[in-house]
Amino acid sequence: MAVVELPEWAALAPVLILAGTALALFVFDSINPRSTNRTVLAGTAAIGSLVALGVAVWFTVAGVGASGLEGFGAIELFDGQLVVDQMALYFMIIVAVVTALVSVASYDYMEGHTYQAEYYSLVMLAATGMATMAAANSLVTILIALELASLPSYALVAILKDNRGSIEAGLKYFLIGALSSAIFVYGISLVYGATGYLQLDAIATQLETGAADGEFAYGGLLGLGILMLIGGFAFKTASVPFHFWAPEAYEGAPAPIAAFLSSASKAAGFVIAFRVFTTAFPLDATSALIGVDWTLAFVILAIVTMTVGNFAAATQQNVKRMLAYSSIGHAGYALIGLAGLGAGSELVMGAAMMHLLVYGFMNTGAFLFVALAEHWGVGRTFEDYNGLGQRAPVACFALVIFMFSLAGIPPLGGFWSKYFLFTGAIEAGLLVVAAALIVNSALSLYYYSRLVKAVWFEEPPAARDSLGQPTGLYAAIVFAAVMTVVLLPGFGPVVETALDAAAAMIA
Amino acid sequence: MEGVFDFAPAIAVFPLVAFVIALAFGKHLPKKGAIPGILATGGSLLLSALMLVAVSSGEVYHETLYEWAAGDATSATGVEGIAFTFGILIDPLAALMLVIVSLVAFLVHVFSLGYMNAEGETGLPRYYAGLGLFTFSMLAFVYADNLLMAFMFFELVGLCSFLLIGFWFRTKSAPSAAKKAFLVTRFGDYFFLIGVVAIAATFGTLQFAGDESFVAAAQTAIDDGGTLFGFDAQTWVTITGLLVLGGVLGKSAQFPLHTWLPDAMEGPTTVSALIHAATMVAAGVYLVARMFGYYALSPTTLAIIAFVGGFTALFAATMGVVKDDIKQVLAYSTISQYGYMMLGLGVGGYVAGVFHLMNHAFFKALLFLGAGSVIVLMHHEQDMWKMGGLKDKAPVTYYTFLAGALALAGIIPFSGFWSKDEILYDAFIVGLEEPVIMAAYAMGLAAVFFTGFYTFRMVFLTFHGEPRSEAAEDPHPVGWSIKAPLIVLGVLAVVAGAANLAPVYKLTGLELTFLESWLDGEYGAIEGLTYGAYGELLAYETGVVGTEQLTVMIAAGLSLLLAFSGAGVAWKLYNVPEPVVYRDRLGRVGDVIEANYYQDEYQVWLAEGVTLPLARAADRFDQTAIDGAVDGVSTASLFGSDRLKRIQTGIVTNYAALLVTGFIVLLLVLGYAGGWFL
Repeated sequence: MAVVELPEWAALAPVLILAGTALALFVFDSINPRSTNRTVLAGTAAIGSLVALGVAVWFTVAGVGASGLEGFGAIELFDGQLVVDQMALYFMIIVAVVTALVSVASYDYMEGHTYQAEYYSLVMLAATGMATMAAANSLVTILIALELASLPSYALVAILKDNRGSIEAGLKYFLIGALSSAIFVYGISLVYGATGYLQLDAIATQLETGAADGEFAYGGLLGLGILMLIGGFAFKTASVPFHFWAPEAYEGAPAPIAAFLSSASKAAGFVIAFRVFTTAFPLDATSALIGVDWTLAFVILAIVTMTVGNFAAATQQNVKRMLAYSSIGHAGYALIGLAGLGAGSELVMGAAMMHLLVYGFMNTGAFLFVALAEHWGVGRTFEDYNGLGQRAPVACFALVIFMFSLAGIPPLGGFWSKYFLFTGAIEAGLLVVAAALIVNSALSLYYYSRLVKAVWFEEPPAARDSLGQPTGLYAAIVFAAVMTVVLLPGFGPVVETALDAAAAMIA
Repeated sequence: MEGVFDFAPAIAVFPLVAFVIALAFGKHLPKKGAIPGILATGGSLLLSALMLVAVSSGEVYHETLYEWAAGDATSATGVEGIAFTFGILIDPLAALMLVIVSLVAFLVHVFSLGYMNAEGETGLPRYYAGLGLFTFSMLAFVYADNLLMAFMFFELVGLCSFLLIGFWFRTKSAPSAAKKAFLVTRFGDYFFLIGVVAIAATFGTLQFAGDESFVAAAQTAIDDGGTLFGFDAQTWVTITGLLVLGGVLGKSAQFPLHTWLPDAMEGPTTVSALIHAATMVAAGVYLVARMFGYYALSPTTLAIIAFVGGFTALFAATMGVVKDDIKQVLAYSTISQYGYMMLGLGVGGYVAGVFHLMNHAFFKALLFLGAGSVIVLMHHEQDMWKMGGLKDKAPVTYYTFLAGALALAGIIPFSGFWSKDEILYDAFIVGLEEPVIMAAYAMGLAAVFFTGFYTFRMVFLTFHGEPRSEAAEDPHPVGWSIKAPLIVLGVLAVVAGAANLAPVYKLTGLELTFLESWLDGEYGAIEGLTYGAYGELLAYETGVVGTEQLTVMIAAGLSLLLAFSGAGVAWKLYNVPEPVVYRDRLGRVGDVIEANYYQDEYQVWLAEGVTLPLARAADRFDQTAIDGAVDGVSTASLFGSDRLKRIQTGIVTNYAALLVTGFIVLLLVLGYAGGWFL
């Protein structure tokens, strides 16, 4: 039993806290527009996201939204436009953690930057959008949340106003984003046209009735709509062929923003994909209506995405760009969670959720290392990173953890989630996908270990000055590294939470 | 004696502690680690003796101490789940062996004070650490209650043997001998490991004793008459038994895996005494005795054991005849004596085999330590042709050595006579019904002659006649740390035979067969692990010549006659002031024996002529086909990566076009599959 009885809307507390933090930063900015008091700004953002994180963890532990006898069941708000259940809270945790890491790291990275308050408030707004995506339960709220997450992101990528690369990346991101949003909205309209509903549960009911009656006339229309929705998710998760923005946006953006986009934004993209496809389009009924199993689309996307991402990453010279492609590859791995839904096992979707959580730490950590390197000003290519291990052993050791975890080397967290994805894929009978996962993981080890080799085994290019140890960046990197490692012992509860959440969605 | 078994783990732990102390602090200790070793083995000896007393008062100990892995695999006989454990089994056999091992280890530690410390060797902490680790592993092997644990410690003693043979690693020969010992025994252990896995997979348990043991399970399987892995149950028991036997042949230096033992004499003589005579080499034979119930189920395996044993006994004895190095003679003698034990066990003479194991441990440790004493006397000379005349100058060494020699040669009433005679008697009565065993018996009997010969050739060349070198004229004195162990073992070599005077019992009816009663569980034993229980399993029939008494007389008379004639010929040839080398008169036979029947040569040929080309071919396949494929994959990947990278042109209109194209392709694929365009 809960000690305190809270009103139902309080279930949205993590989102509200994030939004409140953003507004507080705006207020601060209005009062003191030229302030570069980084401590207050970064601190506010970090504290806000940490409080949101704490509340989300507390809710999860307390069983808010959990199904079963002791829980209260999923909490539906505003006639089911938003829903707070285990999966929503799980992804809010991912978003809040990454936001906190990025805020702390930005304290050093954005040193000497003019638009401090704007930067942090945009980050918080985007985080609000992503957290709302986790709870959105209707195509309308999904679209709004998605745009709320996207629009600040465009601005954040382009926030280095004096940097050509940043501006160019922001524009490209915006253009591709506009195209993808158009496709997505068109998809929504087609689904609405075919079913007459926007709320996800209502769509599912309509489809099941239609499949049972056999009077559903818009099968092709619905199929096209679903495919266009997939396009929208693919954009958000940087999956092929909607991935073209990613390498350039990540490369041009400030490194903490690249971390933010590649971890939190990707996770948020996955949560709406998970929710829409498990809630709105029940597999049997939908297949009967559109004549094809929609998991087929995800099978294709998963294989193509992981292959393109990893193969393109293999020969990159620029570290950030390598990480960008690697992030595309990881989107491919997470797509297995949707591709394997056909077998009706919650294991594979739970595995994808675990992977996204571990990924939130290891990938954010890796990008933050790049942020650290940019802060030092050592350069951008693998050669420029040569011999950093001698100067900054702690950060470089953390980098080794991130790289090996991304590659999936035991006993690090990345190994376990990938292992669960692999067994899940096998269980779901997707042998081709499982094989692609293995081949791509093997290939990924090549380029991840190139970076490890560069920092530890290569000789530094020339006499290098001693490198600073910015507190915020170091703290964030070390924390991410520790989490990447200890998530393994902690995997018991994480596995349970993810599997429960996945089971609740599928049931 | 309630509760005394609680201290059982300490028997093995004491030497382990000594190992750690010698390794960590040996350099700073007054005797470089000898004191902890002596204290630890002394403690082990004391506790082992307590165990012996406890067992004699009718108690046994069988306890699983730690389960380190468990699985839910179902065995071929339908046992669900398997657990891998560490446990202790102390029954009459184990208690006896514990005392033997800890006693010899204790004496060897004491002897080392005179042999290693007094001689100013370097690297002593390493030496004592090795001895400690070995004693720990050997004792743990002895009271292991399951086959896997036995295997693990079997391997550990092998490792210690490797480390100690190579103690003088700066010489050229010692490391090479160590490697040879390791590789040859490893070859046998490879089969042993497969055997362990096979037994585990078949019966779902590796316990030696109790209703849950694999021995009992095998018996049930044979009685049920089913098939296991496509074989008749008995055939499968034979196959697995032979696989385990591979390890036994390697460790106990039986033909054809005996070649490592003579080389192992490169180690310090104390190590030879402890490891390569009295204990580790006995591990193989002990293992056969430990799981004798399993072998008793398979007459084929037993016959093979008996035949290999008889053959090895003769084969090694003939090689011992022509050796000039005192330790080499003893090495071949050891191989030969273990052949006797295998012969004894193979004909179902469980008591006789264990009896000889015990006696041999004492008299062979004595002989090796005696040889060590001679080596000290001779300023580290081992060639017997440079000795002579030591009899008067070192009486303690001489008389104890003589006692050991009499025991080894099988001269009544010394200990070796009683056990060897019992083995030959057991083989004889079975041989009357089974021609194969008769052949094994005949070889064992012939070996008695050679044993008598080479033993006394060694004694006469070493101690009698005139000194043949300066060192022999003026020997280096030896201290009490050397003499005391010799005396203890010398006494044992004389009297240990009294433990089982089987011929006396058969002739006069006097019940002087303590060891038989001991192993038959008259004082206490675990059910199924007694001589009587094994006897019921055996399929052998025995015959007699006339009456039992007459048969005993014939068997004992024959072996005594041969032993005396062997010793007599040696006396005639070598007990003269100036003995001469007779080797050349043997002609081509001598050459063959001198070359050890070309055993090393053919094994080297197997390695270089067969294995090496095969390995080269495999390597070539690996280098070209496998590596080629791998390199090809990586080249193709990098090439593909390079192409794929170029899609990213940096022009946003291209991206939009590609994005839409990709989307349309996906649409076409799904639409075609879903039939949307119809």
